[in-house]
Amino acid sequence: MTAVTEAPPGTLTAPPRVARRRRRMTSSATVAGAVVGVIVLVAVVGPFVVGDPNAGDPAQRLLAAGTHGHLLGTDGQGRDVFARLVDGTRLSLLAGLVPVLFAAIVGTGLGVTAGLSGRWAHRSIMRTLDVFYAFPAVLLAIAIAAALGSGISNSIIALAVILVPPVARVAETETRRLVDLDYMEAARASGASRGAIALRQVLPNVAPPVVVYCTALIGLSIVYAAGLSFLGLGVSPPTAEWGLMVSDHTQYIYTAPFLAAVPALAILVASVAFNVLGDGLRDLLDVRGEARA
Amino acid sequence: MLGYVGRRLLMAIPILLGVSVVIFVTIKIIPGDPIASLLGPTGSPEARAALTERLGLDRPLPVQYASWLGHTLVGDFGTSIARRSAVAPMVFDALKNTLILTLAAAVLAMILGVGVGTLTALRRTGPLARIGNGFALFSISVPQYSVGLLLIIYLAAGAGLFPVSGMYNPSLGGGFVDLFNHLILPAVTAALVPAGIIARMFRSSVLDVMSMDFIEALTARGLSRRRVMAHAFHNTVPSLLTVAGLQIGYLLGGVIFVEAVFAWPGIGLLVYQSISQRDLPVIQAGVLVSAFAFVMLNLIVDALHGLVDPRIRTSH
Repeated sequence: MTAVTEAPPGTLTAPPRVARRRRRMTSSATVAGAVVGVIVLVAVVGPFVVGDPNAGDPAQRLLAAGTHGHLLGTDGQGRDVFARLVDGTRLSLLAGLVPVLFAAIVGTGLGVTAGLSGRWAHRSIMRTLDVFYAFPAVLLAIAIAAALGSGISNSIIALAVILVPPVARVAETETRRLVDLDYMEAARASGASRGAIALRQVLPNVAPPVVVYCTALIGLSIVYAAGLSFLGLGVSPPTAEWGLMVSDHTQYIYTAPFLAAVPALAILVASVAFNVLGDGLRDLLDVRGEARA
Repeated sequence: MLGYVGRRLLMAIPILLGVSVVIFVTIKIIPGDPIASLLGPTGSPEARAALTERLGLDRPLPVQYASWLGHTLVGDFGTSIARRSAVAPMVFDALKNTLILTLAAAVLAMILGVGVGTLTALRRTGPLARIGNGFALFSISVPQYSVGLLLIIYLAAGAGLFPVSGMYNPSLGGGFVDLFNHLILPAVTAALVPAGIIARMFRSSVLDVMSMDFIEALTARGLSRRRVMAHAFHNTVPSLLTVAGLQIGYLLGGVIFVEAVFAWPGIGLLVYQSISQRDLPVIQAGVLVSAFAFVMLNLIVDALHGLVDPRIRTSH
């Protein structure tokens, strides 16, 4: 699959401007991929490199960035902001990634099942999922997380629930598109069982658009996960996590506005990186689908 | 047209029933023993049994659901645990404020989104195009809570251009100008993400329409570029309405962060305050009412859809 194809000289198709635009898209996606790589690396090794994120000296509270060896200064309890930012990467990333992973598996399963099933099973699965579209997604996540009680596993469950329906819809649309194709007819005629068709013929073709869609969902999921923590529904203090840091630093916005901006920027960078990567993958694999949760 | 709206209304009923089931389930998944938490650790077995019976918790789940739904349908959302007063008036008051903020943000998002979408569709190069593309990319990724904070830091607290929080200034006694001043920053914050999404969708929709045969036919017939564009835009309206409908849901959910940051007295702030108090009846009523508002707003969008695109009315 190549996105960049130079038109042979003399042909009128594929104006060069489009070709150039596409190539640039891919390079920005490469940069985004690199940023994602760095974030993942920080999440994996970061906590071993920086010191204890909870060690703080109240006498050294709210230090400006760069003073006394504190790269990003200290927070209201004198804790090193850089250490907390790095240490919090792991949880913030996990809280965003795991729900998407879960939604990818369950959503694909539901979507493919619905797409391959007869009229009744198809309708009951899709109509049930429609109900979830009637909720403002974040609010439903909040209701579920609030009912289950705060904690990162509950915030992950809540986000997974709201991400399943859109993924299932993408998988179902793709499956329905495949069902009428000739090779599916051939598979059925050759006596392959429904399960075998789902696994061998449908899944490999449904996977690319689902993966692309899910990559774009990760950015959203990270923002939502941090948002739940911000509201007090994610991890509990003193754990280092970006959303919690934003809400913790909010009380100092008049005295140290820089503090609230640091974790907010981390969330923004992670979210933009995954979104650009998702866009790039979509162009590269040339799949459609712009539906959003 | 009326038949079309009627059909959409009928289709909303099973959806709303489904919504109520989901909310009921969130009540039931609360871990722990509700009786124990109401009575405290000293409750005697007799008191436990009496309360269980009074709350109907000994009845089968479908019966409990039916009774809960009956109360909900007549606007009885129970009693707030933290405030010890009826939930319904609280929630409906807050809903009014949330709708003001949501609609203001929706209008803003449409203007910004259509503007940026058109710009980036018609202009591929140059600084303006780059700004437009950058906006479409970054705005969909921003966490609203941090943008809100930054706006407060620099425009409200710093420059003193806007009020920091709330909906009215009590010393001014309210009024439309006061409301408008308080509305600007929260509305801008809430509008950013939907504006970015609308811009992206509208851009591809304009490009789609511009590549259609009738555009070429109109141009060949000698129509001015402006007239051609007018025809093109007419054809983008249905897809614009579809996105707008989806984005209202995003707005109704996203405003919780905006309301929490700006202390805007809507459903979001109410839910936010209820989280720390574990005031679940208020949270559930807030979510239920928001979902209801969302379904209704979508019905309006659907009706508009049928109005501008006659094909929708006949197909189902």
